[in-house]
Amino acid sequence: MEVTYKVHREDSQNGGESSFSTYQVDLPEDATVLDGLQKIRDEQDDTLAFRASCCQGTCGECAVRINYKAQFTCTTRIADVTKKGPEILCAPVRNIPVIKDLVFDMDRFTWDKMAAMKPWMEPDDEFAPTENLVPESEMAEVRKTMTCYQCGLCDEGCAVLPVDFDFLGPGAMVKGYRFVMDPRETGPRQEERLAVVEQPKGLWDCVHCYEANGKCARGLEPSSKIMEMRDVSFKHGIKNEKVARHHNSFINSVKQTGWLDERKLVMETEGLTNIGGLMKLLPTAVRAMTRGKMPGRHEKRPGADQIKRIIEKAEESK
Amino acid sequence: MKYAFYPGCVAKGGCPELYTAAVKVAEKLDIELEEMADVACTGAGCMPTQLSDPINARTFAKAEQMGLPIMTICSTCQGVFSQANHRLQDTDYREEINREYLAEEGLSYQGTTEVKHMLWVLFEDLGVEKLKSLIQRPLDGLKVSPFYGCFLRRPGPIMVPTKEVGGRRGYLEDLTRLLGAENVDISGKTKCCGFPVLTANEESSLGMVAKHAGESKQNGADCMVTPCPLCHLNLDGNQPRAESLKGEKINLPIVHLPQLLGLALGFDADEMQLGKHIVSTKAVNDKVDMLT
Ligand code: SF4
Ligand code: FES
Repeated sequence: MEVTYKVHREDSQNGGESSFSTYQVDLPEDATVLDGLQKIRDEQDDTLAFRASCCQGTCGECAVRINYKAQFTCTTRIADVTKKGPEILCAPVRNIPVIKDLVFDMDRFTWDKMAAMKPWMEPDDEFAPTENLVPESEMAEVRKTMTCYQCGLCDEGCAVLPVDFDFLGPGAMVKGYRFVMDPRETGPRQEERLAVVEQPKGLWDCVHCYEANGKCARGLEPSSKIMEMRDVSFKHGIKNEKVARHHNSFINSVKQTGWLDERKLVMETEGLTNIGGLMKLLPTAVRAMTRGKMPGRHEKRPGADQIKRIIEKAEESK
Repeated sequence: MKYAFYPGCVAKGGCPELYTAAVKVAEKLDIELEEMADVACTGAGCMPTQLSDPINARTFAKAEQMGLPIMTICSTCQGVFSQANHRLQDTDYREEINREYLAEEGLSYQGTTEVKHMLWVLFEDLGVEKLKSLIQRPLDGLKVSPFYGCFLRRPGPIMVPTKEVGGRRGYLEDLTRLLGAENVDISGKTKCCGFPVLTANEESSLGMVAKHAGESKQNGADCMVTPCPLCHLNLDGNQPRAESLKGEKINLPIVHLPQLLGLALGFDADEMQLGKHIVSTKAVNDKVDMLT
């Protein structure tokens, strides 16, 4: 089967613009995209750089954007990506600095951010001398996240990373989850674990856009894991002060009136004694006022008492 | 066609123009709305599910009592509702919530309430033919960038659960075309608007505003259309701040879905309250005026 590879070329260490190289390759029907790249390197162009290791879809090394969709080259068959035409476009996954061609910077992309999650167990001493059995029911979901490939496909689709590369990203958050939820790390240890994921550029910088759920190569639902950790953080008390003020104000206004008092929310989030912060809001408030957009008096809703009763009861059970 | 209407907090607060436009447009489309007045905010992803699931179950139970499906006009409300309703399909969980929280008020949720965003109602209940027949002023020449944001699209298995509703992935483009306007594509049309991270990381949030609105402007759009008032609050309300952050002028009007629809149904800019936006919609008004 004759296919055309159009491959992104770039050598960031030696400068120079990025470009594309085109190769004609003859491959068997059942060849993978990786087979093609290897054939190109063997027979046509030994300067082409790409990464692969296990060649069986378990290491996550070979992630490439194939026809605009990030996937593993070693498990993607050429027949599946050439249904609409014989061209196979290979580009590096997004959101990550490229080192050369299809090879991206794993240090900055994955390892630094994973390391920020302190990915090792630190059980309390009291557990050390004996065996510490944990129930499977509590371990099951945690164990699942241990199977993360650390391939970065989830980060590839992230909405925050393109505007803030320092965001730790869903991949690292999944690693954080693995420890936050580990039953051997609950109790006081869970506090510390939460502090790790709640560090600046961590848990609260996620926009819960749920992109990562659709991208994960392992079906680990990274976005849902982030939201689960937020629920846990809420139980312990949110550590980011501004976010905590925001959440508390939000919940209080629903509790008191049945619905959200936006004006109060904005001010209480800034902090009522934070004059500088409040002043910063002024231009937006003035603009809203002149356009007749400023919410009017915030009236209590019918049903508010029932809503309050329900929320208070739910809070008690936390 | 009748719905239990759930406008959400923002349409009753920071985006009153959305409420007005939606109500007017629904009337014109023969969509009867009975507003749910005594139900809670969805929690908007700001309340932990442990608190928001019970109050949302209460809302669903109320709609069940009314014997009506719910119609929302906010993607965030829709997203939170859909996810909650999905969890509440688990009988044990639902029964626990009924017992613990709803029984005292004599309510019980049976899991049958359907919740639909207005955009879905247009295509799945009203139908394209009916919609076409009501268009009085095709928006010829108006260049519109559809902006979905997150919640009408993801999580996929919940928001676009079956093949039958697979069209949900393209409703905004379909609608824009149907109304006679031209689609202007941007790469981030299904990405986040940045609103949810405004508290934790303002720069990141405003960066997203600049990215999407800027790209749309660059691609020649007259305006963006969004089904979500929270996207609107950020893309419109915070556009001036995003401009100062980036040091560049964008000046792109952002219209709510019912407003765009309303213009094609023959309402004028005042009736759709386009004057209530932070970024002036003059460019849109002028083009639409020329059509009449
Ligand atoms: S969470 Fe999924 S997508 Fe993200 S690094 Fe792990 S396996 Fe890859
Ligand atoms: S080479 Fe290991 S997953 Fe592809």
